[in-house]
Order: sequence, then structure tokens, then C-alpha cells
Amino acid sequence: MLRAAVVALLGFMTLPTVVVIAVSFNPTAILSFPPAGLSLRWYENVLTYPQFQRAALNSLLVTGGAVALALPAGALAALALERGRLRGQSLWAAVLLSPVVVPGVAAGLGFLILAAGLGLLRSRAVLVAAHVALVLPFVVRSVWVSARNLDPALELAAASLGASPWRVFRRVTLPLLRPGLFAGFLFAVVVSLNEFVVSLFISNRVTEILPVAMFTYVVNYTDPTIAALSALFILATFVVVWLADRYLDLGRVFLRH
Amino acid sequence: MELRGCTRDYGAVRAVDGLDLQVREGEFLSLLGPSGCGKTTTLALIAGFVPPTAGQVLIDGEDVTGRPAHRRGLGVVFQSYALFPHLTVFENVAFGLRERRVPAAEIARRVAEALTLVRLEGQGRQRPAALSGGMQQRVALARALVYRPRVLLLDEPLAALDRKLREQMRDELRAIQRSVGITTIFVTHDQAEALGLSDRIAVMNRGRIEQLGPPREVYERPATRFVADFIGASTVLRGRAVGADRVALGAGPAVRVAGPRALPAGAEVELAIRPERIGLAPGPGDNVLDARVETLVYQGALTEVTARLPDGQRVLAFVVEPAPAPLAPGQAVRLRLPPEAFMVLG
Amino acid sequence: MRLLLLPAVVVLAVFAAALAALFRWSVLEFVPGSLQTGGLTLGNFRAVLAPHYLGAIRDTVVLSALTTVLTLAGAYPVAYVLARTPSRRVRSALLVLTLAPFFTGAIVRTYAWVLVLGNTVIDWPVPLLFTERGVLVGLVHFSMPTMILVLAAALSHIDPVYERAAASLGASPARVFRRVTLPLSMPGVVSGGLIVFAWTLSAFPTPELLGGGRVKMIANVVKDLGLDSFNWPGAAAFAMLALALTLALLTVAGRLARARPS
Repeated sequence: MLRAAVVALLGFMTLPTVVVIAVSFNPTAILSFPPAGLSLRWYENVLTYPQFQRAALNSLLVTGGAVALALPAGALAALALERGRLRGQSLWAAVLLSPVVVPGVAAGLGFLILAAGLGLLRSRAVLVAAHVALVLPFVVRSVWVSARNLDPALELAAASLGASPWRVFRRVTLPLLRPGLFAGFLFAVVVSLNEFVVSLFISNRVTEILPVAMFTYVVNYTDPTIAALSALFILATFVVVWLADRYLDLGRVFLRH
Repeated sequence: MELRGCTRDYGAVRAVDGLDLQVREGEFLSLLGPSGCGKTTTLALIAGFVPPTAGQVLIDGEDVTGRPAHRRGLGVVFQSYALFPHLTVFENVAFGLRERRVPAAEIARRVAEALTLVRLEGQGRQRPAALSGGMQQRVALARALVYRPRVLLLDEPLAALDRKLREQMRDELRAIQRSVGITTIFVTHDQAEALGLSDRIAVMNRGRIEQLGPPREVYERPATRFVADFIGASTVLRGRAVGADRVALGAGPAVRVAGPRALPAGAEVELAIRPERIGLAPGPGDNVLDARVETLVYQGALTEVTARLPDGQRVLAFVVEPAPAPLAPGQAVRLRLPPEAFMVLG
Repeated sequence: MRLLLLPAVVVLAVFAAALAALFRWSVLEFVPGSLQTGGLTLGNFRAVLAPHYLGAIRDTVVLSALTTVLTLAGAYPVAYVLARTPSRRVRSALLVLTLAPFFTGAIVRTYAWVLVLGNTVIDWPVPLLFTERGVLVGLVHFSMPTMILVLAAALSHIDPVYERAAASLGASPARVFRRVTLPLSMPGVVSGGLIVFAWTLSAFPTPELLGGGRVKMIANVVKDLGLDSFNWPGAAAFAMLALALTLALLTVAGRLARARPS
């Protein structure tokens, strides 16, 4: 009976996904389920709509910039948390993970006010700054897991064999942190690409990223174009999460054995 | 290698207390003691993983106290082996050579030599995870020796192996050490290992060395009660000196004690005697005591006999099997305690 | 070692500056029709508590509470299987199915529900789109992954030996669950519930798209005031309210988590 309940619940969780993908192939703008035929016109619409193209470019720039900054910052912070013997370590951990906790509207409005005050309203720099902070906790968490599984005896051994602290980091620590770094990278990319609420507040038509462009479209039009774009997003996310699980056994990240 | 007055504190805990130790060139010295005695901390001080709170560390007469671990030129084998999981056996062994910028062709030659020394030729391409515990241990040894360090440090390297493998590795380790001739410091809590491998043993307790000497001396002439208790088994008996070489145990007869010094008349004396030196006597005689058997524990090659003397003190004796006469609990027996087997404590 | 934290600290300092700006504007006077502000005032917070907005706050709390309860009921079975299954494949499959929606982004997920709940795809007996019911469905769906993960983590910390011991003492599987597993999982249930409740209080895309303007939660009010009326001080006050509520709830959750029997 438990199994039946779980299957039903999983069905509830995946129902929207299924419907979206089905609708995205619908040949007409009038929605029907199951779809009356198969058509790729909405995918074509997605790929040729200039606002989406611009938004996609913005997404690439903002996410690229944010991840490039968040990865080293988060990785170093995770190492400091695990090895640094910091006083108030749990406080530092809470601070590093705090952006996740702040309501999106609060952060979004705050960044808007801050940007206006600095005259940066029309720049993508604000978007990048916000995204780095929003993505940092995921990087820290992933790398921290890897760092925790790193046997300190390995670094002592490398030192006893003649490796200076920098060489130890390069030859032993960094390679062994690779799973955490990769997972952190994946999470950071996914979170940034999908970030909506904060980005809504601090972007305009020129700088808006893809989710915000989608929102504007949905509010104004009702054709299944967004279904097609959503389907693409869903596919990409599934692949990324599956990769993260294969590479870093997500069971170990979230559960304990 | 020398330690002068080394002390190491961890907060309020003093792990190593004013330690003085001189290790001779080429010798195999064991640091032996129970957990918490400071032997692993001592090793960490020598290796440079932790700085001493006070005192100095010298290698070949050079003061290296301030020098970080990676510039001390020592070889360390860790209890967990600490083989780099992301590198192959070859790359693990070559690690120290690469740090010393040895050219590639030379590295290949010396790694092959080291692997042959530990009997792992041909295993270079494997990853540590694919090897058994015994093989991993040998890789760790090869890695530490390949660049010819001045001193080899081993932190309970055999602890993770099962008994048969441990004994085999023990012999191999000794053979390798002898053939290479390297000064070796070996940390263990297993006295059988220490006795079998060492040129000298330092018995440690609470951050201090209780006795330092060759195995035979530490075993047969323990300097303190702790050493007598820790190494081998022994019975400690209390009595009163009734002559230069006689001790009365309770109300019973006096036993003759063949010690190096005369006993102060009338003084309270503590005597220790190893259980394997006590034998079953067929009849009364010199140094023969009446006793009653309390418990018997059969151990295959011998039986551990616990017997009680008339004055209430307990004696532990090992009787080699097959026993000369059958034994049962409650039985009256006669035990002979040879005069030269007694160790006067304190 | 502390130096390693420096880059992250810089990033967070910028974030903190944004929150500081928010706080500052929440106590500045709103000048209608412009982005200038008057002096310091508590007027914004007073306006927040006006009956018009109080309704939104009340709706938010009620919806969040309902969401929390329903999500708990739905997430527990999935979390149980996830935590207890011996098969790596089942665990991976469940994790991917749970995490993928989590990372698929709010717009996509909410839009999917617009499709499902509108009568175009499935004909519902009762109108769902643009009603509170519809928003509730969307919110529950949104919170399921989080709740599942928190509960699964809590359940995985319960040593199965306790369940085996109860069984050896004669308890049937249902009794074992009621008398051993459920009580031991309570800290996780409470902390998961608080996390979902706090998060739902600030939900935005779901009520915005599924509510169609008829369902207003705190976050929607912030957006209306901030981006439509340009009343930044008023919006800031509301946002501060949401932030304060969230922090308070999460502090409680954190305290309870630390008191967990391990």
C-alpha cells in the first residue's frame, strides 16, 4: 500500500511536467490534451523570438559570470569551514548559507534600491552580483561534503613526502575535491539559470534573463510557446541532476548512511 | 635522531612530558605503550606535524625544531597508509621523488627498485583501492623509502592487518629494515611486535619513558611496576624482607630471592614473577609454596592457572600442556618459584 | 585560514548591503508619484497593518499553514521509501524525480500548473485556476521536494536497529511505525514543517500566475507596491515583514533541530 501511495505521489509531482511536454507539441494555439497532432512550431517560435534570444544571451552572461565568481569563493570558504578550525564555525556556516533563506522579494527589492542608489539600474553587473550571492550556498555545501570526506592523513602524508603546502593543495587536495566542485558547478548553473524572483526586480527589457522573459510572455500571451521553452528547461535540468547524481552520489549529499 | 626535553600540551592535557630520547644510527627503536601514553604524539613531533610546546628535535645533530614537515626529509608510514586514492601505485611511490625534481627516467628506475624491495613488482598501474590491506601497507612502505630518508617513522603500521598477515609483515619489515640499514622508529601498543622487532624499546606511560633498553632487558628486568605489568604477564607479591636475600610472604615460609642487591632488613618488598617461570613441584622443598587452584583457562599450548596462597595473595602460573598432573579448581598444589626469577620492584 | 573566507565574505557583504538598503527605505517616507523619499517614519509599517493589507497577510498565513499540512502528508511516504530503500537505483530514481522539479525553476513549474488547472487540458468539476484552491495545489507541489528531502534526511538518521528491536518485541509494522519511527522522526517533521511554512509565506510566482490577480500573498503585495506603484518604502516595509517572519520561524526550526536526539 505504501508503494501505491508513493507512486501516486510521484505521479502528482511529475504530472505537470508530462502535461507541459505533451502540450508543447500541440499543433494549434488552442490547447487540448491529448494533443491533436505533433508539431514543432512552438519550438521554432521559441528559437526565433528575438526577446527570447536576447534573454538567452543575458542568461548565459549572467550565469557564466556568477558561476565563475561563486565557484572559487565557495570552494575556498568550504575548505576554511572544514579545515580552518574556526571559532564560531557554525555561525560562519549559517552566514554562508543564508542567502537561501532570505525571501526573494526582499532580496530583489533590496538589490533594486541599492542599484538605483548607485546608478547601476541598467547594468547586468547587479544581476551578476545578486546571482553570485544566491548561488554561493550551493557551491559551499557541495564542496564542503567533498572536503569532509577528505582524509587529513593524505595531506600529512604529502607533506612528509616533501610537498610544500601549495603543492599539497595542487596535487592532493584539489584533485580529491573534484566531485564536490563539479556538483557545486552544476547546482550553481541550474539555480542561476532558473532564478526568477530576484531577477524580476532588478532587470529591465534589455537585461532580463530567460525566466523573466518567460514570465512577461505568459502574462501577455496564451499560446504554447512557453510550453516548448519549459520542456527544453525541464530536459536540461533532468540531465544536469542525473549527471550530478552519477558523479557525486546525491544520496551522500542529502542523506546519511 | 634526538629529542631534548620535548613537551607537547593540548590545552590542559600534557601528551608528552619533558621527553629525552637518543636514537642511534641504523637502530630499530619501538615506542611501546597503551593508548594515550603519548607515543603517537611523539612521532608527530619528530615528523614535524605538530610543534613542541617546549624542547628541541634534532636530526643528524641539526636542530630541526622550527622546520616544517615537508623539509625534514623523513619517511612516514601512517596507520591508515594514507595512499592517495586518485593516483596509481606507481604515482604514489613516485610522489616524493617528483617533489625532489628527480628526472623521469630515474624515477621509473627507483620506483621499480622500491616495488621490488617490497615484493610488489608489476603492480605499478593499480589503484590503491584495488589492493589488499597487506599490499597497501607495502606500497606505503615503498613510498616512504624510495627517496632514502634519514629516518623512517612507522605509526602502528600493522594494526589493521589480521593476525597471520601481521606476523608475516612483521618479519618482512624487519628484513627490509636490516637490508636498507635505515634508522627506524616504530610506534605500537602490541608488546609482542615490539619485543620481536626492536633493537631497543622505549616503554611509555603518560607522556614519559618508563624504561629504555633492549627487549630482553625490558622483559626480564622491568624497572617499574608499570613496565612489569605492561610487558608480559606477571604476579606481584608483597612481603617483608627477613634477611639479605629472603622474603616472607604473609605467615608462610620465606622464599629466597636472588637479586642484584641485598634487601634492607625488615622492609616491605614488592616482588614480581613471570607466570612461565613458576612450575608445579612434586613435593615440598626450597622456594616451594602451598596453594589452592582457583581458576583454570585452557589456551592450547598452555593452561593459565590462578592459585591462592595461604595469606590470600593470588599467583598466576603458566603450565605447559600436557600438564604433568591433572588439575581441577579447588585442588591443592605445590608451586616452585625459582629464586632467580624474582624481580624486585621499586 | 581565515583569508580563505575573504572572497565569499565580499560576495555576502554586497548581499548584506542590499538588505541594508531595504531596511533603510522601509523607514523612509513615501512620496507618491516619485522615487524621492521624505524623512524617517514608521508610517510604512502602519500602512502595512491597514485592513486592506491585513487581509493579504491573513490569507498568506492560512494558505501557508494548509500547504504545510498537505505537503507533510504527501511527502512522508516518499521520504520514508527514499530513506529506507536498500537499492541505490531506487534511491537515485527518487532523488532525481524529487530534485528535478526543485531545480526546474518557478516559472516553468507554475506555468505547467496553469495548463493543468485551466479547463483546457482536463475538465475539472470545480474551477481551479485563479482560485485559492489552485494556488494551494501549486504551493503544495512547489514544497514537496524540500519536505521530502528534509524528512528523508531525518529518517535516514534513525538507526534501523530500533525498528528491528521493536519488531523483535512483538510489534507489527504498523505499530512499529506509530510507536517508534514516527516519534523519532518528529524533530524532522517539525523542522521540515517550519521550513516549508516559512518559504511559502514568501511565495511569489505561484500566487502571481495561478492566482490571476485574485489571490494576493505577501510577496505579490511587495511586487505590486514596488514595481507597479513605485511605492518602494511601502514595498520595503512589507518585504521586511516577510523577512522577519521567515527568520523567526527558521530560528525556531534551527533550535529544534539542534535539540534532536541523535
